[in-house]
Amino acid sequence: MNGPLFVMKTGETVSMTMPPVTTTQLVQYAGASGDFNRIHYDHPFAVEGQMGGVIAHGMLTMAFMARAVGEWAGTPGRVKNISARFTSPVRPGDRVRVQATVTTPEAAESVACTLEAWVDDTRVAVGEALLSR
Amino acid sequence: MSEIDLSLVGSLSQPFVVEVERGAIRRFAEAVGEPSPIYRELPAARAAGFEDIPAPPTFPTAFRPPQEPAWTRDLDRRRILAGEMSFHYERPVLAGMRLECRVRFVDVEDKSSASGSMQVIRQQIEARLLDADEQAGELVVTCGRVTLYRRPRTEQLS
Repeated sequence: MNGPLFVMKTGETVSMTMPPVTTTQLVQYAGASGDFNRIHYDHPFAVEGQMGGVIAHGMLTMAFMARAVGEWAGTPGRVKNISARFTSPVRPGDRVRVQATVTTPEAAESVACTLEAWVDDTRVAVGEALLSR
Repeated sequence: MSEIDLSLVGSLSQPFVVEVERGAIRRFAEAVGEPSPIYRELPAARAAGFEDIPAPPTFPTAFRPPQEPAWTRDLDRRRILAGEMSFHYERPVLAGMRLECRVRFVDVEDKSSASGSMQVIRQQIEARLLDADEQAGELVVTCGRVTLYRRPRTEQLS
């Protein structure tokens, strides 16, 4: 099944907002990803690290980006390449909005898009994805 | 002073085997709020054209060696931040696959910005399919990981 990314024109944008990040989710993600750095769930430790408290795993934000791209592709699992650069921390309570802009013409063999993740007016990650038809 | 042994740039970790399990994929999908049934139910995965349950695109972030590689082992975890990550797939990662992975220490570079100075550590993880004879063959996925290692503020002031 082809989703919106396969019929959008170059420069067109689609976006989706995730539910708020919870501390429980950060503990779940630590277990599921094997990233047990305490800055993601241990408040005093995160304060000592001068982060001003617990921050979400950057890779959780990237997982949100990948989830959105999968849904927009129609069938998830068609992602060939995906990359992200993290530009600002995400904290418990934040709702991450993912936005994709198509960069390839409609008839191309594969669809490329640029990705952005935002919390309110702060951009928290930028990236790119390539999907096969 | 650097806590990262620069003589290790270019090194490759010991190989380690990742067994891709359905339960691990389901728990990862649940943790990230991924709603698609293809990550949970075999019939849904098959209907989407996969032989088994596929892994979500960022799942290989969980392909970690049993022991931290020598070049990141002694770092202060409070000063580590994720910088960048990339996944390049040759084919989808599916439950039931046995993958041989290695981590490469690509390089490290010093950077300064308004928020402080840091070391930028680049690593690459390659996952290859293990066949019935335990031979690593076909490349499945390559992950690029850029980690930011912030210098402590006291060190920056001196």
